[in-house]
Amino acid sequence: MDSQSLTASRQTSLPKILDRLSTHSGVACVLVLYRRQVVGIVTRQDILRAIAQNAQWASMRLSHVMTRPVVTVSQADLSADLAAVPGFLEQFAHHQISYLPVVDERQRLIGVLHQTTLLQAWSARSSEGRRSETAVLMTSADAATHEDELRRQHQRAQLLAEITLKIRQSLQLKEILQTTVDEVQRLLDADRVLIYQVLPDGTGQPISEAVVPPYPPVLGFSFPEEVFPEDYQALYAEGRVQAIADIHAPDCGLADCLVEFSEQWGIQSKLIVPIIHPLQPEPNHSQTPRPHQLWGLLIAHQCSSPRQWSEFELDLLLQLADQISIALSHGQMLEYLEERVRLRTAELTQANDALHQEIRERTQIEAALRQSEEQLRLVTNNLPVLIAYVDSQQHYRFNNQAYQHWFGQAPTDIYGQSIKTVMGAAHYRAVEPYIDTALTGQPVTYESELMLKDGRSHSVSVAYVPHLEEIGEAAPQVKGFFALTTDISDRKAIERMKDEFIAVVSHELRTPLTSIHGSLKLMATGRLGHLSAEGQQMLEVADENTDRLVRLVNNVLDLQRIESGEVTMDAQVCDAADLIEQATEAMGAIAQEHDIEIQTQSDPIAIWADPDYIVQTLTNLLSNAIKFSAPGNPIRLAVRSTVESVSPPQSSERFVPRDRPPAALALFSVEDRGQGIPADKLNSIFERFQQVDSSDSRKKGGTGLGLAICRKIVEQHGGQIWAESQLGIGSCFYFTVPLQAAPRPVTAKPQTASAGLTMPPRSQKPPRSKKSHR
Amino acid sequence: MPTKCVLVIDDEESIQKVVSLSLKMEASWKTITVSSGQEGIRQAAICQPDAILLDVMMPEIDGIATFKSLHDNPKTQAIPVILLTAKTRTSEKRLFQKIGVAGVITKPFNPLTLASQVAKLLDWSI
Repeated sequence: MDSQSLTASRQTSLPKILDRLSTHSGVACVLVLYRRQVVGIVTRQDILRAIAQNAQWASMRLSHVMTRPVVTVSQADLSADLAAVPGFLEQFAHHQISYLPVVDERQRLIGVLHQTTLLQAWSARSSEGRRSETAVLMTSADAATHEDELRRQHQRAQLLAEITLKIRQSLQLKEILQTTVDEVQRLLDADRVLIYQVLPDGTGQPISEAVVPPYPPVLGFSFPEEVFPEDYQALYAEGRVQAIADIHAPDCGLADCLVEFSEQWGIQSKLIVPIIHPLQPEPNHSQTPRPHQLWGLLIAHQCSSPRQWSEFELDLLLQLADQISIALSHGQMLEYLEERVRLRTAELTQANDALHQEIRERTQIEAALRQSEEQLRLVTNNLPVLIAYVDSQQHYRFNNQAYQHWFGQAPTDIYGQSIKTVMGAAHYRAVEPYIDTALTGQPVTYESELMLKDGRSHSVSVAYVPHLEEIGEAAPQVKGFFALTTDISDRKAIERMKDEFIAVVSHELRTPLTSIHGSLKLMATGRLGHLSAEGQQMLEVADENTDRLVRLVNNVLDLQRIESGEVTMDAQVCDAADLIEQATEAMGAIAQEHDIEIQTQSDPIAIWADPDYIVQTLTNLLSNAIKFSAPGNPIRLAVRSTVESVSPPQSSERFVPRDRPPAALALFSVEDRGQGIPADKLNSIFERFQQVDSSDSRKKGGTGLGLAICRKIVEQHGGQIWAESQLGIGSCFYFTVPLQAAPRPVTAKPQTASAGLTMPPRSQKPPRSKKSHR
Repeated sequence: MPTKCVLVIDDEESIQKVVSLSLKMEASWKTITVSSGQEGIRQAAICQPDAILLDVMMPEIDGIATFKSLHDNPKTQAIPVILLTAKTRTSEKRLFQKIGVAGVITKPFNPLTLASQVAKLLDWSI
């Protein structure tokens, strides 16, 4: 009796028991106790069998694998003579158990009786001659046979468990197949064990082999098709096994060619079992049973002599063939999964590469955008002007750093705020019309006063430029506008200083001029005494040049006042024919002096203009015409109505509003038959102090400002002035004036937002005339 | 018909002479010339001229202040005043019209037409 045994409860798990058995190599079984009563036995073989047959063995417990009922023997039975041994052996055989627990009178476990140990002991006692009975000898022989049988069963179970573990732990088919042939060869003590794989074309080849010398290996050799014909394949595919004890036996069923083939390899006996394998798994995991096919054969050869194969050996090969089939399934599944993984990995890699590429591109774009924005900020923040973008809802969407410098407001504080909130209600009311204009798509410029953070009011020029977005064929949509505000305080101060200077100079010049001019005029009458001829001539020189000086001073002041905006045109409805008549009357005396006739042609045309300034323009033009015409040549003064398509030869810079029909205009013309004007001077003569010939002008008493003044007056009326001429033939000066109250171009003249659009009264200015000789 | 008497108030003596000679030659008017606003106010009250030609830009008391004094004085408020000035800015002209002068003659003026300008403004006959 062996007192070494492990005990455990029914709920003990198999992995735990395996661990305990691994540390107790001499223990072959585990007694399952319940309340100290033996209720079952679990041997190593039981455990290995459970592992081999159950994939979920790790979750199994002793209660699942233990053997029942438990047959026990009492200690008293063991103390009897060996006549009880046959009874024990019968118990072993009847219950197909290998161990008998031994219990005391109180049924407490005191040891285990091993079948093997008992047989050995019985055999030894028999050899000592205490009793020699056939039954005993038979029992001994049976015992020996039984022992061999037990050992082989144990080995089979171990081999199965080992291979099963390998399948579970490794998916290397090659390794599994090689282990199989090696272990089978060892266990069966066969001369050759091989695994033969059937190829799709019907042929096949050995792929794993265990062979003992001196027999030749068949590995790598391709068996001809005749060795394994199609009908044989069909039989094996159905599960046929073949155990041939002697290939030369007439009833072995082998064809002569097969016998001959076998003899080439020294085969005397062979045992063949099929390896059936299900076809490739369906990707859609169909529930329909998969068809099976013959994957190969597991073959054992005996070359030394014919051999009768046992059921055990056949059974062993069949079980191993099943395990190989399972391994093949696992391998196929692994291949399938690996392919899926490979494809998915490729997809993910591609997606990842694309994502990385997109990230790189986006990073580059973001870097470019950042750089562009930084450049924009660099430029806008370093310009000493306010730059802003306002959306169509009048909210700020961009402000440069100048807002911080001017108002102490950071751009981030202003962003998103409405104009009204930032400017204040009062200032917003003043500039609202300009904002509305910009949001209709029209650019606008105006002047205003802003209180800066230094507490001082600054004059500013503000420009709103609409942001238009073209959308297909539709009209452009106003998305907002850009605002540019420039501090013009310095310019305004300079202008004020200039105005003051001119006003002072004007007064200081005019005062002595009054005395000089007046006294010369009185002297020239001759009533204060007579001078000599030369004296009279000198007096006339002084008088003429004093007149010229007076005209120059007046013209300079006129031009300066018109340019500065101090003078505003008091436009009203007036009759163009009447203005022509006034100008003709004013220049009549001078014309008569030069023996020049002024011819007029005019229809009663109502124009929208300041009559005094139009008359001044006409008198200037007539004055020039008289100056540069030879005596006897008439001057033609006319006015007619026309439309805006009449344009000067040179393009005008005047702002032309969009979508406005051509305006109806009055076209004035002053035509002479004078010396003419060179073509390259037709534009420059309207500039200040620009004349066709300065020496000629001085002789004729011109100041060089008359045409510049005419241009300013005409432009203030929204008209245009130009000249056409042919040298030696004559010239014609044209200018246009609106026929009706046309809207003033908002860029033509800056307005002061705080002052509003007021029209100061106009001064009365008599036309200047050339002196008449007496 | 008694000849007219015109008081000329101008700090420029040369202009005083030109104006006097001009009015005498062209209209045979008598003139009284003074060089300051204060003197002008005094002379106007004493002499009771038919009209006053008044310069604007004068030291101490300018033409506008002088006019206001004349206008506020019952003795002189009825005497028409014509400004004789080189100041021709729009704002100034607006002011001149607002304070109630009879007219404005710009310097430099034509001495040969000065008398007729004054007569036209005051509706006198020459």
